[in-house]
Amino acid sequence: MTCIVRRKQYRKMRPCLTGMASGTMIFMDIEFVRKRSELYQRIRDFFNSKDYLEVETPILSETLIPESTISCFSTFFRSEFHSSRDYYLIPSPEVHMKRLIGQGYGNIYQIARCFRNSEQIGSHHNPEFSMLEWYTMDANYRDSILMTERLIKAVCTEDTPDHVRAPFEILSVAEAFKAYAELDLDSLMRPSLMREAIRAKGLSEGDTQASWEEMFNRLFLTFVEPEISSEHPVLLIDYPRALQCLARPIKGTPYRERWELYIGGIEVANCYTEMTERSTVKSYFEEEFAQLCSIRAVSGETIPDIDETYHEMFTDDYPACSGVAIGLDRLLMAIHSIKTIQGVILFPFSDTIGKR
Amino acid sequence: MIKAGQVEKGMALLMKGQPFIVVEREFVNPGKGSAFARIKMKSPTTGQVLRETIKTQDSVEDISVDDKDCQYLYNDGEMYYFMENDTFEQFEIPMATFPDYKVLMKDGDSYRISMWGDKPLNIVIPYKVIYIVAEAQEAVKGDTVQGASKIVTTETGLKVKVPIFIKQGEKILVNTETKEYLERVNN
Repeated sequence: MTCIVRRKQYRKMRPCLTGMASGTMIFMDIEFVRKRSELYQRIRDFFNSKDYLEVETPILSETLIPESTISCFSTFFRSEFHSSRDYYLIPSPEVHMKRLIGQGYGNIYQIARCFRNSEQIGSHHNPEFSMLEWYTMDANYRDSILMTERLIKAVCTEDTPDHVRAPFEILSVAEAFKAYAELDLDSLMRPSLMREAIRAKGLSEGDTQASWEEMFNRLFLTFVEPEISSEHPVLLIDYPRALQCLARPIKGTPYRERWELYIGGIEVANCYTEMTERSTVKSYFEEEFAQLCSIRAVSGETIPDIDETYHEMFTDDYPACSGVAIGLDRLLMAIHSIKTIQGVILFPFSDTIGKR
Repeated sequence: MIKAGQVEKGMALLMKGQPFIVVEREFVNPGKGSAFARIKMKSPTTGQVLRETIKTQDSVEDISVDDKDCQYLYNDGEMYYFMENDTFEQFEIPMATFPDYKVLMKDGDSYRISMWGDKPLNIVIPYKVIYIVAEAQEAVKGDTVQGASKIVTTETGLKVKVPIFIKQGEKILVNTETKEYLERVNN
């Protein structure tokens, strides 16, 4: 028997039941649906008042920027009239927003649905999530810190805890390694030295073929990330060059112009001074795609198509810019002290799956 | 050998020749990086804590254990004392290895103990357990997420946040992992 609840009656039912995560019922008050709506309004007011243009780009994309560590969702476009082919759900709106920048759109922002496959579904991950991404022209990653600090202040409400409102603590990745892992990152830039550090810190040897990046991540995740303060937002800045990405390298150092923001010990934002040099973008695409293909030949994960001409738009006129991406579900959790992502999402993905 | 991605809380692993019990396991994807399992382990004999982060695709050495049903007798602040139900043999486990089990285990109840040879490695606490409310304290101001609630203490000393209608002497079902109230149990 189908039970029809009229809209008026339904709106009276609160709190509404949204899920059964790990056997526990989570009640999501309708207030949180309203709080998300208010958050988006504040974000739009903030950027509109600073003359950023809100854009909307496809979430179903024919190509993606290769990222060997991000697994994507693919779907099939079927047509009698056109050639059928695979399309991909975007892991971030970057691929299209960078095209708009090349066309001279200037400062832009977007609130987009993004998708990441194969991640552990838990209290901080939903495969479908909301992301705020914005780009500022003639700016670098340091300029973006100021913008982000202002944005966080602008979206806080009367029930936002002090640890979210506090000024950012800015700490370089090398400083964090020294403080929490007692390691001098500058002197560990060779794989053999990194392997030595892994041994000295008591981690298991692991794969002898492990890349520098993997060893860095093991040390970072074991000794550094868990120590990041929850008392105030922490901005970890200047990531090693060996972590391949489209952030500009810092001249004369083994680091890149990239930061990540942690609030309450949880990673909520990522920022680069964007790489706009055509030849570097081209070689990144080639190397990262080769890496992605070799990993996925083993794992069987989807290999997305890439646009082999993507680098061509990076002409000498392409503006210098900095881009920031913020996970809005996590931001909403932080500003209202909610511990699980299921507490801020209607119909969370975790309700739909069984345990392996 | 198993993949690090298959490691679960409560499993016994052999690290550098020593048995360790997984007490926390979290999967993490760093901003730019593949999936890792971040594991916190404890030695069941010394209570020593070991932290590891391993790629989910890499292998770790698991220990196959024998599960035995044992009665929990008491603790003396240092050790938990158990008796094997079949052989009536008594043995102890350092409390430092499982400090929070003090308020989860009930004297006289049976628990499954994972044995590695004659070494007890792990105590399995059922996922959901019924407790009696021994003490019901004052109500705390209701937050907007879960409605009005208060803190009660069970007969084992466990403090649980419950809805305000729960009274002293009533039975409640608790998730032992999160230590959260699930529902009231009627007699």
